[in-house]
Amino acid sequence: MQASAVRVPLCFVLTGVLSLLVSGGALLAQPDLLAMYHYTPHLIAITHLFVLGFICSIVMGAMYQLVPVTLETQIYSERLVKFQFAAHVIGFVGIVWAFWNFNMAMVGAFGSLLTLGVGLFVFNLACTLAKVKRWNTIKFGITSALLWLSATVAAGLFVTASKFWNFFAFQPLAAMHAHAHLGVVGVFVLMIVTVSYKLVPMFTLSELQSERRAWCSVALINIGLVGIFITVLFQEPFKPLFALVTISGFLLYGWEMVAILRARNRSALDWGMKYFLTAIGLLLPLSILALALTWSGLAVNALTMQLESVYGLLGLLGLVGLAILGMLYKIVPFLVWFHSYSRHIGRAKVPALADMYSVPLQIAGYWIFLMGLSGLSLATAWSHAAGIRWGGGLLALSLAIFVLNMGKILAHYIRPQVEPFSKKSNSATKTL
Amino acid sequence: MTAAPLTDELVLETLRQVIDPELGLNIVDLGLVYRYACAAGKLTVTMTLTTPGCPMHDSIAEGVKNILLTLDGVAEVEVEVVWDPPWHPSMMTETGRAMAGVRSF
Repeated sequence: MQASAVRVPLCFVLTGVLSLLVSGGALLAQPDLLAMYHYTPHLIAITHLFVLGFICSIVMGAMYQLVPVTLETQIYSERLVKFQFAAHVIGFVGIVWAFWNFNMAMVGAFGSLLTLGVGLFVFNLACTLAKVKRWNTIKFGITSALLWLSATVAAGLFVTASKFWNFFAFQPLAAMHAHAHLGVVGVFVLMIVTVSYKLVPMFTLSELQSERRAWCSVALINIGLVGIFITVLFQEPFKPLFALVTISGFLLYGWEMVAILRARNRSALDWGMKYFLTAIGLLLPLSILALALTWSGLAVNALTMQLESVYGLLGLLGLVGLAILGMLYKIVPFLVWFHSYSRHIGRAKVPALADMYSVPLQIAGYWIFLMGLSGLSLATAWSHAAGIRWGGGLLALSLAIFVLNMGKILAHYIRPQVEPFSKKSNSATKTL
Repeated sequence: MTAAPLTDELVLETLRQVIDPELGLNIVDLGLVYRYACAAGKLTVTMTLTTPGCPMHDSIAEGVKNILLTLDGVAEVEVEVVWDPPWHPSMMTETGRAMAGVRSF
């Protein structure tokens, strides 16, 4: 791994954290957006800032670091990563601006640039995957997620074009929900599921307990998602059936995670892992909510309409957001450590990753995040503007704590803390 | 100064200064060092890492080289990273297990 290979993933991560702050701030400034139905230009703009700016940036930066680790190979082209970063940033900033002003022509223009970036990302990772001859769960999962990513972007562009030129009359809400499921379940959740099959055993000193169970979970999520996309888009009555197929994939995933954790050799879980495991635990309420929302007998009233927003909040902010925060506590210290300390190892005393940030702050951030998420979800369900403000405020506090900790880590990038070895070891060397 | 022969204690004590930053534990107590041999000033270390594809691969191997080259009488160090036998927590020392919160075997 080269120093330049660290800088670019770090740029993706910083872009992600900045987008998180701006999207959080925008929502806090207009809490009423969550108290009303979610089909409004400003909420769509903020959602895209959160999804493309925060989640996508982090996922892309993380994949450039994690794919070589999980598949034990090197990234195909580091030069392409730089071009992709430029296309991604200009693309998503433009899309957010265009949605804010509800200018669909500009959504299409910047969306095309974003698509170019996604194309480079998919090409680079596909070439990396091709270097790995053996098919295993991880290669299967990442390949699927890349296909879903391409499909999500293509679907987004298609919906935008059909809206602009009026050539295909989709029901707009159905198209938006189908597009969102492709992206969130197909890309983000599938990537979380896949990489956790490598990272959870790695960080807890355990092993994958059943390759077949892991493979089946990824297959079921994929099969269910194909059906979900079609039935949601065309408003077919078989939505619960395909939701159940995907949920059965999640159940197998949960079963495997419990088995891995039971077999772990490291009894104490660090807080980064606790963030991540809590996030994937949210798959349970999300699955129940998904089944309820797909049930054809569900009454259409203010509460059930708001439950769709709660579903989106729990999925994006809870499941994907919290999982990312947990993983960032692993990824960012590693990237900074690699940049600042890898050349000093064996020459001087260097800190461990956990020494680079404050664990008490990390713990406080965890509990405040969960309180904020619970409050925000309840307040959104009941369209309670003051409650939304309080819940959002707690989440903002949690994010501020997170940013403070990230600042502590990045301080090591600017000013490494290298100490000479202790005198005891020097004397040991000299007695030879 | 007359150089004393390299002792196990000295080599291991020296290698204890190289840490795995993720676990915050030195490579000796982690059980990553399988064996070493010294002949005519050349020290050959056979070791592993906790997981194949570990991004710390080059850094840790380089760290082992750097630290061993500080020993008098060592002119050259060769580090061979192997994956067989694969590392397992049972290879950790008692001290290492206690420090990393790993259950005893």
